[in-house]
Amino acid sequence: MFLALKELIHSKGRFIMIGLIIVLISWLVFILSGLGTGLSDLAAGTLKRAEANAVVFEEGADMSISKSMLSESISDDLLRQKGVSDTAPISTFSTSIRKSGTSEESGKKTDAILIGIEPGSFIEPTSTEGKNLTDDAADQVLVDSSLKNDGFAIGDTLALSGSTEKLTIGGFTDHQTLNHQPAIFVNLDQFRTIRYAAPGSDNGIEDIVNGILVQGKDVDLNELTKADEHIEAGSKKAAVNAVPGYSAENATITMMLWFLMIISAFILGVFFYVLTNQKTQQFGVLKAIGGSNGFIIRSVISQVFVLSLISVLIGIGLTYLTTLFLPEAMPFHLEVPMVMIYSIVLLLISLISSLFSVVKIAKIDPLTALGRVE
Amino acid sequence: MTGIQLKNVTKRYQENEFETIALNDVSLTIEAGEFVAIIGPSGSGKSTFLSIAGALLQATEGEVFINEQNITHLNEKELSAVRLKQIGFILQTSNLIPYLTALDQLLVVKRMNGSVTKEDKIFATELLNDLGLEKKRNKFPNECSGGERQRIAIARAFMNDPAIILADEPTASLDTNRAHEVVKLMANEVKARQKAAVMVTHDERMLDYCDRVYRIEDGILKEETNLI
Repeated sequence: MFLALKELIHSKGRFIMIGLIIVLISWLVFILSGLGTGLSDLAAGTLKRAEANAVVFEEGADMSISKSMLSESISDDLLRQKGVSDTAPISTFSTSIRKSGTSEESGKKTDAILIGIEPGSFIEPTSTEGKNLTDDAADQVLVDSSLKNDGFAIGDTLALSGSTEKLTIGGFTDHQTLNHQPAIFVNLDQFRTIRYAAPGSDNGIEDIVNGILVQGKDVDLNELTKADEHIEAGSKKAAVNAVPGYSAENATITMMLWFLMIISAFILGVFFYVLTNQKTQQFGVLKAIGGSNGFIIRSVISQVFVLSLISVLIGIGLTYLTTLFLPEAMPFHLEVPMVMIYSIVLLLISLISSLFSVVKIAKIDPLTALGRVE
Repeated sequence: MTGIQLKNVTKRYQENEFETIALNDVSLTIEAGEFVAIIGPSGSGKSTFLSIAGALLQATEGEVFINEQNITHLNEKELSAVRLKQIGFILQTSNLIPYLTALDQLLVVKRMNGSVTKEDKIFATELLNDLGLEKKRNKFPNECSGGERQRIAIARAFMNDPAIILADEPTASLDTNRAHEVVKLMANEVKARQKAAVMVTHDERMLDYCDRVYRIEDGILKEETNLI
């Protein structure tokens, strides 16, 4: 540590350059991670945040909420299955909204997804502003806060395209989006009135819903399907993955992230190796005057650690600074646990990449200190 | 007896089918407080001698004792410890650590052995003062002259209070005045601190400071008796 710090302070220029590279890499990693979380939130935030352990769909719906139709009455059968402690029905319907009073043709319309739920069920998010859903006021809705950017406020009355029903914004909630659209949580009965206004559109299913979320410890997916002949069950993860576009987006970002990590490991490895190579003579001298391999290697590793730690911290700082300047439309959501995980991964990567140098150091012959090997 | 003893040391290098004998049956004993010079043309085996005496290289045959400890069969790690505790190396110039001040150059030797105590700092300062480096205590090597750098290297060699001092061409890059100054200081320290010292050199101007002079040629060591 002694040598490491003395050198860091003395050769600032050289280390600032390497530190800058680590800063830039970590900055990019954190931004990509924030973008990845933002995008996946946009695609499936509501499902991801639901405290569900499994989701039940109509048989053959491929775990996709939009393709599935079943009766809410199955809930009672599900509740009797082993390990199930609670259920919450969910229905979704993509539509567009505008402020009531503007005309269908010229008014500004915003895409949104209507999510029908039972007020008070576990899928309902807590409002960050205003009120949650109630059974009494059926036309009152809880909407995603991103709609504020489109000019909506609490108390606004919403008109839906293709429907005569009106809804009133009762409250806002954060990070609730599905299928890349802001969520509008609405009472399930009200939802049915809007969605299945046309006779026969519910395929004759009584109390129709798109899916039922299941909560409970050790829920067995196979056991769940015994509740009814025509259902299938999947984990929450499977349901999230089945959201259109979710896997494709996530895989892209994840691939970019890991490629970046692997490339940075090599870049840093080469940098540290070149640095070590330049210091062969110095390490030789240290060995000749009695420095053990352990002493020198500890010194190099602690140097890499200190340098990386400072750089990653600066990278985190820059990332949070960047979020202040990102355009509102950009889906960006930095989660503290993700930042921690990637910081640790980055630190590990720089430590691992310094291992090339460690091998090199172990091989340095103290005779090089004499400067002339016969 | 403290000091260094080489008993019938031979070092052979094997290169393909050719065998070079770098040291041929060398025996030498240096007592504490003795300052010995070894001279000889390049390629004569001087460096090999120094490397073996300095626990950097293992002899092919024969035995080496440092401070009455047989180091002939020690492994790499044990040799490193012997170098740290028993040997003070004075290498050719530019062998200081560029990012350490004169004082830290000395203290790093103690760091390798654990931690630095207050006494170590006092001792290091005393050594630097002995060598006339009071004002260079907190200077980096690039802020010192060649002679000052070499004096720092001498102080570093004494820092671990070793049994033997080995100097490899300590005057190689110094002018006559500086060279005399450096070797004189080295001789004084060797006497004052009772170390067994070996200086490998080709600089015959410096031999006056030495108690004995050996000449090495083609791996064979002989004592010089009639010096000019």
